Amino acid sequence: MNEERSRFGILGIAAFGVVAFLQIPVLVVVLAAFSKTAYLTIPPKGLTLHWFEVVLRDSEYLGAAWTSLWLATAATAAALVLGLLAAYAIHRRMVPFAASLTGLMMAPLILPSVVLGVALLQYYTLTGMRGNSVGLWLAHVVITVPYVVRACLSSLTAVDESLEDAARVLGADGFTSFRLVTLPLVKPGLVAGGLFAFITSLDNVPVSVFLLSASQTTLPVKIFTSVEQGVDPSVAAVSTLLIVATGVVLLLAERWTGFHKHV
Amino acid sequence: MTAGTRTRLPGLVLVSPLLLILLFAFIAPALLMVPLSLREYVPGSGISANWTLANYTSIVTDEYFREVVVRTLVLGFGVTAICLLLGYPLAYFIAHSGPTMRLTLTMLVIFPMLLNLVVRSFGWIALLANRGLINNLLIDVGLIERPIRMMFNLFGLLVGMSHIFLPFMVLMLVPAIQAIPKDVQSAAYTLAASRLRVFWSITLPMSAPGILSGSILVFVLTISALVTPRMLGGPTYKVMATLIYDDFLQTLDWPAGAAMSFALTALTMLVIGVSSRLMKRWGGQA
Amino acid sequence: MPALTLDRLEKRYAEHTAASSVSLSVEDGEFISLLGPSGCGKTTVLRMVAGLIEPTGGRILIDGRDVTRLPTNKRNIGLVFQSYALFPHMTVFENVAFGLRRQGVDGADLKRRVDQALANVRLDGLGDRMPRQLSGGQQQRVAVARSIAPRPSILLFDEPLSNLDASLRDQMQIELKRLQREVGITTLFVTHDQGEAMSMSDRVCVLAHGVVQQFDTPEAIYHRPATGFVASFIGRPNRFKGTVQRAGVQVDGGPWLPAGVGALNGLPEKTAVDAVLRQEDVRFLRADESAGFVLDGRIALRAFVGSRVQYVVAVGGIELIAEAQTNGAHAALDIDAAVRLAVDPQHVYVNAAQPQEAA
Repeated sequence: MNEERSRFGILGIAAFGVVAFLQIPVLVVVLAAFSKTAYLTIPPKGLTLHWFEVVLRDSEYLGAAWTSLWLATAATAAALVLGLLAAYAIHRRMVPFAASLTGLMMAPLILPSVVLGVALLQYYTLTGMRGNSVGLWLAHVVITVPYVVRACLSSLTAVDESLEDAARVLGADGFTSFRLVTLPLVKPGLVAGGLFAFITSLDNVPVSVFLLSASQTTLPVKIFTSVEQGVDPSVAAVSTLLIVATGVVLLLAERWTGFHKHV
Repeated sequence: MTAGTRTRLPGLVLVSPLLLILLFAFIAPALLMVPLSLREYVPGSGISANWTLANYTSIVTDEYFREVVVRTLVLGFGVTAICLLLGYPLAYFIAHSGPTMRLTLTMLVIFPMLLNLVVRSFGWIALLANRGLINNLLIDVGLIERPIRMMFNLFGLLVGMSHIFLPFMVLMLVPAIQAIPKDVQSAAYTLAASRLRVFWSITLPMSAPGILSGSILVFVLTISALVTPRMLGGPTYKVMATLIYDDFLQTLDWPAGAAMSFALTALTMLVIGVSSRLMKRWGGQA
Repeated sequence: MPALTLDRLEKRYAEHTAASSVSLSVEDGEFISLLGPSGCGKTTVLRMVAGLIEPTGGRILIDGRDVTRLPTNKRNIGLVFQSYALFPHMTVFENVAFGLRRQGVDGADLKRRVDQALANVRLDGLGDRMPRQLSGGQQQRVAVARSIAPRPSILLFDEPLSNLDASLRDQMQIELKRLQREVGITTLFVTHDQGEAMSMSDRVCVLAHGVVQQFDTPEAIYHRPATGFVASFIGRPNRFKGTVQRAGVQVDGGPWLPAGVGALNGLPEKTAVDAVLRQEDVRFLRADESAGFVLDGRIALRAFVGSRVQYVVAVGGIELIAEAQTNGAHAALDIDAAVRLAVDPQHVYVNAAQPQEAA
């Protein structure tokens, strides 16, 4: 695999170049968060933690962060339960039209988020649910569950089907064999799916931006709308905090399950 | 593995909660957009009770709408092409690397993907703005006198979105390249083919399914994107998604927005449909 | 009362019938093999006995009880899967303990039973290992231990040895047979390998296309094949097409072969038939030897197999395969050498021609 030594030269340089390119905006944001001036220069004209202070004291930012967190948690929890059950039923061919059902559950991935967002806006307005937290939660379940279903299906496919048969022969009923045999083995899929679901919900703007009420907002939507009012390094500070948080979560997840195999 | 009526009921029980939620919060809203898109909008007084096809026809007849649609498509193709050009060498390198290198690089590719989209787009603003990092650097060094306009135009969107979607392309290409049996490449070498020829005649065509699926994904994501075009394109340089956004939240011309939504969805479905046809035909290659 | 009875068991699918009117009864403690080529229905029958597939007709009785509609987990059977199906996330101990726990056994009692099961398969002390740390042969033994620990009334094997390499397979055949005898459990063993079936079983049930061809002791199956399929599936056959002529078979394009007493079964002259003559039944004659019926031929090819030498011999227009002992007088015949072959009419098995013979 590493036999082509000379090829490493140009290709390797190109590869690392692209990887470096991928990290650039992230580095810029971090740089801007520490920069004394409201505009960016290299080298920066001074370093400060001032913007972090501003952000951590701002109740609106804190409120938005809190909303994002509970929303992501609630949506992911629901997606995990519903997605796993559905994936199991489909995998074991316990329902007819398995392929179409899978397609339907994956459909939210294909539909442009903005279209789903505006459709729900109209729908909730008609049903009087506009600005309702439950409506927002339901929307997030819809956009996160495909990741769980996909990851669970992939995980389930890797599980030897005879294992549940073996458990049954040994005296376990359907639920017990699922709990003791299948569930532990589908865990990597659940973790990977759950992680994707959580991040998708946390990140989401195109659906959330249409469904929020006047009094609540999520973190990404707040950043999104405040950028329209002009670039402000406190945005960079918030972003940096988010970057750090994501990095930590990623490392933890990788340590925990090695989930990169299920991406 | 017991097939038959015995397991039908539990299956339905397992699946119905999710189906109900999808019905309520996905299918129904989507269907209700149809009548909305056919209603007439009167500026100043809102949605009237009349039906009309004008919302759809104006997409094609109105010069401004046409421009926005074309711009969206150009952006789609442009970003896809750039992602392919940049992504393929990286994917090839990763696919042919040893396990540790592969893991490290894959992590470095995935990491930006998991960062908040808004954050990444903001990063590009900080880079490309008139008072952004690049312009300040070029001015300080003396290469230019006045800032180059890199935002609120096609250039800014191309660069920013290529960066955002590049990881998707790479992650689709790597398994496709890995799936090419090493034996086939070795066989070509034994038949006295040069490295370049092996790449051109064997590796590249055999990774075609990966190229196709990666391109489809990036294309669809690009034309559907809202956040990055809004942040890097501003309120005046619009694509289809940002136009829909403005229709629903600014001008409140919901019928027009609904019609444009269906147009965007139709485009997406068309692209996906054509590509899966192609994939089926190429199924035997990889 | 037989330990296991299958009464006209049937499994019919939309496109084909996997098992058709399969009836057999197994006595307590017997070792029975279900033998046949892939697709013959043997695994289907096994899975129906296990309750993993629902029959479309017929009954299954275990110790006299009709279990046909009983779910798998209530049948008190053991099943060793082809892939072993060990729970990868549990230790060897937990794997073996699984069935016992379902029966409510725990504590010191549990440990004793698990240890005993592991001792039965000679895997003492490996309780703490994970399945992936074991070799194929060891995994297989854990699968067996797991199945017998709950003391089931019937033990089923689904081609358990096909994933092992040849030498290990032979060893495991002996071990399994010995274990079965020690524990005394009624056993149903599915395999496509006739050598395996014949050497391990008290009786063998040969299946083809979902239909029982013959259910008898290995000796009876070998020496008195009941159908053309059995004749050509067991042993190493030479297969011919021909027509009935006088008291024998005129092979198409070849010589005439005598048929044994009663072999033609009243088939009239000129009937199209399939005839089988086993490679091991053709005897080379030395120049001075004579026999009841002799064929003259010429050596076309020679292959040294190890335990025997195989020859392709051209005889009167056709070719047939004959064997000789490795250390015998005919072990080193040259190509083109003239030879004389003796054929015992009792070894010529004749059946009316089937439209489609299993390849």
